[in-house]
Amino acid sequence: MSTANIQPGNAVPTNGTHGVEYRRVYVWQLPVRFYHWINAVALVLLCVTGYLIGAPIRAFYAAEAYQQYWFGTVRFIHFVSAFVYVFNFAARIYWGFVGNKYAQWTTFLPFKKWQREEIVDVIKTDVLQTKMHGAISTGHNSLAAFIYFLTFLVFCFQTITGFALYSSMSTSWLPRMFTWIVPLMGGEFGVRFWHHLFLWFFVCFTIVHVYLAFYHDYIEGRGTISSIVGGWKFDRVKGDDK
Amino acid sequence: MGDSIWQSMEKKGYSRRDFLQFCVAAATVAGLGRTGAAQVASVFEKKEKPAVIWMHFQECTCCSESFIRASHPIVVDALLDVLSLNYTETLMAASGFQAEKSLNDTIKNNKGKYIVLVEGAVPTKDGGVYCMIGGKTAEQILQTVAADAAAIVAWGSCASNGCVQAAKPNPTGATPIHKLVNKPVINVPGCPPIADVMMSVVTHLLVLGQVPELDSLGRPKEFYGRRVHDTCYRRANYDAGLFVESWDDENARKGYCLYKMGCRGPVTYNACSVVKWNEGTSYPIQSGHGCIGCSEEGFWDNGPFYQHLPSFPGFGIESTADTVGTIVGAATLAGVAAHAVVTNIRKHKVIAEVHAEEEKES
Amino acid sequence: MTRVVVDPVTRIEGHLRIEAVVENGVITDAFSAGTMIRGLEKILIGRDPRDAWAITERVCGVCTTVHALASVRSVEDAIGVAVPQTAELIRNIMMATLYVQDHVVHFYHLHALDWVDIVAALKADPKKAAELAQSFSKWDKNTTAYFTDVQKKIKQFADSGLGIFANGYWGHPAYKLPPEVNLIGVAHYLDALEWQKEVVKIHAVFGGKNPHPNYLVGGVPCSIDTDEVAAINSERLNLVSRLISQADEFVNEVYIPDLLAVASFYKDWSKYGGGLSNYLSYGEYPTKGYGNPQSFKYARGAVLGRDLSTVHPVNPRDEQEIKEYIAHSWYEYDGGNDKGLHPWAGETNIKYTGPTPPFETLEGHDKYSFLKTPRWKDNPMEVGPLARLLVSYAAGHTDVKETVGMVLGKLNVPVDALFSTLGRTAARGIDAALAMGWLKEFFGELMDRVKTRETSTFNREKWEPKTWPEDCEGVGLVEAPRGSLAHYVKIHKGAIANYQLVVPTTWNGSPRDAKMQRSAFEASLIGTPVAKLDEPVEILRTIHSFDPCLACSVH
Ligand code: HEM
Ligand code: HEM
Ligand code: NFV
Ligand code: SF4
Ligand code: SF4
Ligand code: F3S
Ligand SMILES: [Mg+2]
Repeated sequence: MSTANIQPGNAVPTNGTHGVEYRRVYVWQLPVRFYHWINAVALVLLCVTGYLIGAPIRAFYAAEAYQQYWFGTVRFIHFVSAFVYVFNFAARIYWGFVGNKYAQWTTFLPFKKWQREEIVDVIKTDVLQTKMHGAISTGHNSLAAFIYFLTFLVFCFQTITGFALYSSMSTSWLPRMFTWIVPLMGGEFGVRFWHHLFLWFFVCFTIVHVYLAFYHDYIEGRGTISSIVGGWKFDRVKGDDK
Repeated sequence: MGDSIWQSMEKKGYSRRDFLQFCVAAATVAGLGRTGAAQVASVFEKKEKPAVIWMHFQECTCCSESFIRASHPIVVDALLDVLSLNYTETLMAASGFQAEKSLNDTIKNNKGKYIVLVEGAVPTKDGGVYCMIGGKTAEQILQTVAADAAAIVAWGSCASNGCVQAAKPNPTGATPIHKLVNKPVINVPGCPPIADVMMSVVTHLLVLGQVPELDSLGRPKEFYGRRVHDTCYRRANYDAGLFVESWDDENARKGYCLYKMGCRGPVTYNACSVVKWNEGTSYPIQSGHGCIGCSEEGFWDNGPFYQHLPSFPGFGIESTADTVGTIVGAATLAGVAAHAVVTNIRKHKVIAEVHAEEEKES
Repeated sequence: MTRVVVDPVTRIEGHLRIEAVVENGVITDAFSAGTMIRGLEKILIGRDPRDAWAITERVCGVCTTVHALASVRSVEDAIGVAVPQTAELIRNIMMATLYVQDHVVHFYHLHALDWVDIVAALKADPKKAAELAQSFSKWDKNTTAYFTDVQKKIKQFADSGLGIFANGYWGHPAYKLPPEVNLIGVAHYLDALEWQKEVVKIHAVFGGKNPHPNYLVGGVPCSIDTDEVAAINSERLNLVSRLISQADEFVNEVYIPDLLAVASFYKDWSKYGGGLSNYLSYGEYPTKGYGNPQSFKYARGAVLGRDLSTVHPVNPRDEQEIKEYIAHSWYEYDGGNDKGLHPWAGETNIKYTGPTPPFETLEGHDKYSFLKTPRWKDNPMEVGPLARLLVSYAAGHTDVKETVGMVLGKLNVPVDALFSTLGRTAARGIDAALAMGWLKEFFGELMDRVKTRETSTFNREKWEPKTWPEDCEGVGLVEAPRGSLAHYVKIHKGAIANYQLVVPTTWNGSPRDAKMQRSAFEASLIGTPVAKLDEPVEILRTIHSFDPCLACSVH
């Protein structure tokens, strides 16, 4: 790890002028990038359709029920997205064991002391916008990684409650595995309540996540945003900022 | 005493053929179909009219009222021909000492053979003083009658999940039956349950001598395996997104879906939309009001009934998860925006500095 | 001196214990105790007032709907909304239907066995029974074959152990009916059981189910539209119409004739069970809106000291008029246990101080019931069919006077005979007959409105809680089958801040008040003879004449 002192505004990844040198690092392998964007699209769909399921709008009116099926379609999209999202997530978990070191499951938990220190540093940088002492990891920074871990837990929760709700409408084995959740949460009403409430977690997560992706792109100046598309990030190998 | 059902029919002048026809009818009621008739006939021939005890605890007696609304068989026939209802405070002739005698005799003479039907929850707070009969607590009585019972049925939401008296803050510690006895209990929830569902559970037990297949909550699958919503005739409107927006609006008159008026059909397991109420006359949704979820555990605490989601504690009566979510979401956006503004101000400073430096260098 | 304990009192709703002191074969003191409580007044706090009808409806499944109605009335009063006339008519139809069903069930299934000896019916001659029945009723079922069949059924039933009729006081000398009248009574007991499930279909049509049909603050939840298959349309109205005619026949050709036949053999019971001499009625069946009590079919007011020349006005909002005491009840008041509280300021702090169960007697316990003790201007009042008939009689309502006169005439007894156990039971029949007539009238009016398409059933002005004042209070009054029912609600920021129910059986069945004045049950038992201490059928007769509902009374 480089111990360079990163300052906001050093977003000039060139050789020479400031005596800073970067090296290309392939952080996000194709499966991770695929996972990310499938997940992002599925979750946006789930949030939008989920919200509509909870509070249908008055947009479409027909004289008779047989003339349209929009609410059914909304629900259908929710369920399709749900399956895509769940299997996509399962694939990511698999990749956590076989992928490169940036994708490894261990990076998501702050087992090591430096990770915990980095969390403190990142909080200082992000929230207090102070100067950052010590470098940020090339893969996920430790705070982001830990938050992704918490997010994965919410993913699981939402999957469980979602399938529990789906189990009453399905005879297939996967949803049926979740029937026992319903009485545990005091009936379907309770399950729905929690499932609905966590919609707002995803909304908040997305807002903060997307913002921070841009913010870190800016303060780190090493292609954070493009990395989740192309896979490459830039690691500083030499030089210092003034 | 103790005629078999066949004997009692024979005495009334029924022929063997009548009897078999009755068995076919009973088998159909019990969901066996015609092939099951032979099985039923053998049950009737052997069995005495089973002794039944109906207990009343913390209740409103509408389960009893519902029961007497049964239409197939009607309750008169059930009382006279199918079962021997030896104890029910609502209808029995004997009172006081004589009523207690009826209860004790039934237990003594039918050990292990009688059926207990319980209406009402049992208060467990403060030694059970919130429901006392003949100077004993409901809990004491329940344990006595349950000890030698062949089967226990919990009528209604009170006995199967606590119902209204168990709603927050449950001042008397009202408790459903299955939490108090160490025997399997058949739960027949609903506030009240549908009359013909009650009657069918009884006939299933008495005519078939079998416990109906139960789900993980002890409810007969036959009647509680589907949500009201799954078989609701307004379902097409739900899928089409055609909703009642206000009581008695044009959409209400057209019979659109009541989802947006808070209908709990999608989260409620009951037979209302198929069996319907009062001999198939109607059910809540058919008469314009949403389902309030009366057969679900804790449904009273899921209010207000006219919102899709419950009110969110601490945010006022009309708040929901969406109210809270919107507030939190908006706060997040605002935070992010503020952060972006600060970042940009700093960024301008840095850019200016870099420019100055560059100019110096060139 | 003996203390006779009857617990459970059966053939009522709920858990009632009577302890009566008998000296020389006559009751000299009595204690009425309600022994079950659920604490619904506490459970209601903090909830949406628009949900309260559903919660309070579950106070009782026997008089199902009356608490729902009282509740929506109280909330409508608080938030200030008037319901459309069509909705008011539907509410009236539901209410009158309940009167008819509830009274018939009470007469046959809860009360009749105090007067009708089932076992003695086996000795009857079915042919004579048919002749007798035909002499006072046109009901076409009353034939020899029918009575023969019923007698056979009962015989079979008796041979196989009597089930719910086991251990009754059969053969007790207090049973006075000839065998044939007993047989008619038993036959109609079975018929009434079959019929009662029909008439309540009216509730299912408008409220979706019975027991516990649905209500709505601001109107009724069903919509009417004769152009729509999913609304109340002509098919639904035809069904209601048929059920009404069927009910009309049952009430007028079965219930009332049987009542008169049985009563004519028990005229001595017009001497017992009078009890209190004050009567209260809130009035019922608004014809020009609930806000206009002068238009009610039954009058609002009080009769004191059986003086039918004066009707005293009753104001439920006046803090000095209606109060509840707990001097002998298992509660505590913050301001002292001898105080009476107007229901808007009411408290429900449960505090059991009775004996530890199992126990033999409540003797020696100052507090002995979960019922509070309501008083009107500190007077104990009787409520119920008798009370509302007397108030309307005194107020000069002609239809009431005529029907009362007709029944008294047929029984050939003076008006005074009403102040008794028998009078109370007869009054309930008159009440049902009047309700039956009004039911037809309301349905006719509803049909008129359907014709002119004035079918709005809901007033949406005040549906949203944000249209309500931050603080408001309301009272909803109903004449329930068993008498005067009041719900008092206080609303703060859209949620229930206090909710108190003052219920008919609370008036009648409560323990004595701080001044040791007895309430109706206790007062009416005094002076009643008891022939056999171990078979106190006389106690049941008088207590049953009130049609007690303990789930209501305590809630
Ligand atoms: C992970 C992101 C998800 C979000 C944000 C989300 C959100 C929502 C929301 C807000 C509702 C409406 C609840 C209500 O108010 O009644 C809903 C309903 C539902 N969701 Fe999800 N959901 C997600 C994932 C899933 C998954 C993985 C499943 C699994 C199958 C699922 C299955 C369902 C079902 C079955 C319903 C009920 C639909 C109905 O009955 O019409 N959801 N969801
Ligand atoms: C314009 C939209 C988005 C952009 C630009 C974006 C960008 C990124 C970037 C740059 C990373 C890598 C972060 C790092 O270096 O630590 C990342 C990771 C991640 N993002 Fe996004 N993101 C977007 C939308 C979303 C959405 C909508 C979600 C889901 C709600 C999401 C969930 C995740 C997750 C779970 C990871 C961790 C990936 C892993 O390692 O498995 N992203 N995103
Ligand atoms: N007392 C009483 Fe009720 C009545 N009628 C209610 O208000 O019975 Ni359950
Ligand atoms: S479950 Fe409902 S209907 Fe049955 S006794 Fe309880 S409150 Fe009444
Ligand atoms: S009315 Fe209720 S149960 Fe029927 S389809 Fe709509 S939401 Fe489902
Ligand atoms: S409220 Fe109850 S009666 Fe049926 S439709 Fe809903 S379960
Ligand atoms: Mg009260």
